[in-house]
Amino acid sequence: MTKLREVDRGRRAFLKGAAAAAAVGPLIITDRSIAQTRTIYVNTWGGSWTAAEEAAFFKPFTDQTGIRVRTVAPVSYAKLKAQVQSGSYEWDITAITQADVLRADREGLLDPVDWAVVKKEKLFPDAVYANGLAYCALGTNLAYRKDKFPQGGPKSWADFWDVKKFPGNRSMLNNAVRSAQFALVADGVPPDKVFPMDVDRAFKKLDQIKPHIKVWWTQGNQSQQLMRDGEVDMMVMWNARASELAQQGHPVEVVWHGATITTTMWAVAKGAPNRKLAWEFLQFAVQAKPQADFANRLYYGPTNPEAFKYVSPEVARQLPTYTENVKVAIKPDTVWEADNTARIQERFTQWLAG
Amino acid sequence: MAARPPALGSPRGTRGEPRRPARNTAPLLLLGPSCVALVLLFVVPIGYVLLLSVTDPRVGFAHYQRIFTVPLYTRVLVNTFLTSLVVTALCLVLGYPVAYVMTRRGGSISTLLLTIVAMSFWTGFLVRTYSWLVVLGSKGPVVAAYQALGLGKAPQLLFTTFASTLGMTHILLPYMILALFAVMKKIDANHLKAAASLGARPGAAFREVFLPLSLPGVVNGSLLVFVTCLGFFVTPVLLGTPRDMMISQLVNQQIEELLAWGFASAVAVVLLAATGVVIGVYNRFAGLDRLWG
Repeated sequence: MTKLREVDRGRRAFLKGAAAAAAVGPLIITDRSIAQTRTIYVNTWGGSWTAAEEAAFFKPFTDQTGIRVRTVAPVSYAKLKAQVQSGSYEWDITAITQADVLRADREGLLDPVDWAVVKKEKLFPDAVYANGLAYCALGTNLAYRKDKFPQGGPKSWADFWDVKKFPGNRSMLNNAVRSAQFALVADGVPPDKVFPMDVDRAFKKLDQIKPHIKVWWTQGNQSQQLMRDGEVDMMVMWNARASELAQQGHPVEVVWHGATITTTMWAVAKGAPNRKLAWEFLQFAVQAKPQADFANRLYYGPTNPEAFKYVSPEVARQLPTYTENVKVAIKPDTVWEADNTARIQERFTQWLAG
Repeated sequence: MAARPPALGSPRGTRGEPRRPARNTAPLLLLGPSCVALVLLFVVPIGYVLLLSVTDPRVGFAHYQRIFTVPLYTRVLVNTFLTSLVVTALCLVLGYPVAYVMTRRGGSISTLLLTIVAMSFWTGFLVRTYSWLVVLGSKGPVVAAYQALGLGKAPQLLFTTFASTLGMTHILLPYMILALFAVMKKIDANHLKAAASLGARPGAAFREVFLPLSLPGVVNGSLLVFVTCLGFFVTPVLLGTPRDMMISQLVNQQIEELLAWGFASAVAVVLLAATGVVIGVYNRFAGLDRLWG
């Protein structure tokens, strides 16, 4: 469907251009190309995610600069490669995980940071990584239903694995690296020593929990449905999705010990037609105020430490980049993850199907 | 002949009679756009996928070797075909009586059934998949009925092979019914009367006359359902277990998460080839031109 839209847009632009050229010649063309260069296209997840981006980033940016922001959903890592290889662009900017940014940058799919537009002194430390700009942080946590555990719920991955002490239906995210990380922490590896991963040890530990996992979920909506409808009592869940349920009044508790914190990055597709404007937007998007606005809406952690000035303490302690949460979470190793994801994923998929 | 419009671009014969080559190029020119569309939309992309499968990231047949040596891939391939076979059989068993009643009863019952089937056909498959999550869920009506009847704790229905098969059967059933109906409604009712007048009981008349005449519908419907089912993956992911994985899910994972386009292309080529074999067999015995009735 997105493919169709792309073709359609190209066709319409062409028809408009051709008509204009035929009618009035160069005058209109110039006018049109200015109008066109004042719009950027952003690849986004759609739904509440895009609504929050609209309010926190896009609208303030347009108000400030006059540059319009159009969105294309859902996020597709594969389309980044398709666009760069084919030279036909549907969007300029996308948001992908840090490990994916690293892999994309190695494949030459990303536009190098444009230091003529982006001002180093306006960025926070570590904002730039592999030609991406840190956007927000997402926790992958243990979450459970408080009503199912009146004597106190699981507090760690070891508890999640302990089916005698904490009986109940369980669900995990269908993701190789995350599952292996949690298994290692459950097996007694300290969260800051998970990388480099002992993959064999992780799978051995995963063997123990496999019969007790009712469902391996793949989509955020699906995870919320499982928790909300009481299909499961404890599960691996993205922090923002769990906090959203709690905010709606569901008895959901989020555990930060042994959680993984992944950074989502903004990146510009190599050769994107509106790259200059894209970098201008990204410079704006990593500033404290819009970052805080976004965190206040969806519980994703701001990457800019200054943003916490604009976040209430009540919200702040639910965010993945809150200092106390970072301390007890798994220490990530992006390079190791980018190097090993494909290998572990194949083994994991085979293990799941076996 | 006189009504035929002048051929595009052909010089109108000065002696009133159009020249011979023009008569032949006109239909070819009309075919042109669809040929271009077919080449651009099917031949080129499929050729590209074939090419990718043996060139990305290196030239060679390593991807194919991997598909047939790593147990995961052969396993998923076999599972995909077995699942499609089971779903096709279920659709046939469930769909045949419905199509039969629709044809033989006629009138308001037929209209009602047709409306129900068409409504189901037009409802998005994602919506129908999510409805099963509610129906089979632990707070759903099935579990509630089970407990109300005092049968104790209900077995787990959701996230099983049963749920995934049920979901896919539900989604593909309308294809089967409509394919059967299209063929059955062309069967002349007088054939059955003739059979009866020659002494056949209803059972025998059905077995000897109606069933053989409806076989093209059975074959068409089965092919449609089978081939569509081969490409399914959302329903098994949402309703089933990881053991019910279908081949398209692997393709999706390789493309979206791992950017391994070469390998994904190879998997797709294997699926395409296997589907081609199925259609080839069909064509040999039934003839593709009869697919649409």
